[in-house]
Amino acid sequence: MRQFLLFFRKEMLEMGRSYKWLWVPIVFLILGIMQPVVTRFLPEIIESAGNMPEGMTITMEIPTGTEVMAQTLSQYNSVGLMILVLSIMTMISGERQSGVSQMIFAKPVSFVSYVAAKWASMLSLVTVSFVLGYAGAWYYTVQMIGSVETGAAIKAGLLYLLWLWFAGSLTLLLSSLLNSAAGIAFVSLAVVILLSIASQWLPSFTAYSPGSLPQISMQWLQASDKSTSALGAVILCLICIMFFFMIAVYQVKIKKSKF
Amino acid sequence: MDIMNSSIPWNLIMPIIVLQLILAVVALVSLYKAEATRGPKWLWVIIILCVNILGSVAYFVFGRKDAS
Repeated sequence: MRQFLLFFRKEMLEMGRSYKWLWVPIVFLILGIMQPVVTRFLPEIIESAGNMPEGMTITMEIPTGTEVMAQTLSQYNSVGLMILVLSIMTMISGERQSGVSQMIFAKPVSFVSYVAAKWASMLSLVTVSFVLGYAGAWYYTVQMIGSVETGAAIKAGLLYLLWLWFAGSLTLLLSSLLNSAAGIAFVSLAVVILLSIASQWLPSFTAYSPGSLPQISMQWLQASDKSTSALGAVILCLICIMFFFMIAVYQVKIKKSKF
Repeated sequence: MDIMNSSIPWNLIMPIIVLQLILAVVALVSLYKAEATRGPKWLWVIIILCVNILGSVAYFVFGRKDAS
């Protein structure tokens, strides 16, 4: 436990030094705020862009507050996921390549606490960034579009946060397996995107896939009356996260003895 | 300028601009203090200033050489 806290403090310090604690939350906040603002001013934006034939009028339905929140989540599912993967991809592989981890493992330290500290700091970065961005999106939606159902928004937000945890865990696992940063980013983004597309196209086959979590959370926001159950997907997702963690510990152990 | 007169709530738009400014300024300060970067520094200045949000993000992800 003492070792874990020591490593955890080191990870947090490092994330601060590389400005991750600054830019990841800010980017998530901007992404969250942008969606309601752009939606609200879309007619004005199109009008001022010109190229509109004389006399043509656009009638656009202003979407409801919950719809805008669902759009924000789908925004996070593209740009947000990319930012997330890029910000944590070298957490394990970087130290292995720079030789820091060999230096650490020259002393008798536990691999579990080393990897667990990385996991915990990653999860806290993801959670803080997403909660901040989601809260920003919520505030702006209420201010500019309309009311949002509180219970549905909180439930959907928590479910989506679990999906981000899954994506982050997958990235850390790949970071323990591969050396090249580009390879880690590519593989983890590809897997996450494929999972999420598969659950859109083959919903019956992938009911319990973690990839259905973003889909379900958007459904919860838009039609809270006929809610889809997410229990199976949630349980499988938690199992996957634990499994990824154990493989990563094992990998760190193996890779250490190679050097 | 009718865009200034229309009913745009500037107090709600301002935070976006401020956040982007913070991001760019921190990226520039970090760039100035960095001893070495991947790629020439002047190029990163252009990228941070011209490519809105993703320019600063690109610098933080790809430009910094971690001196650990």
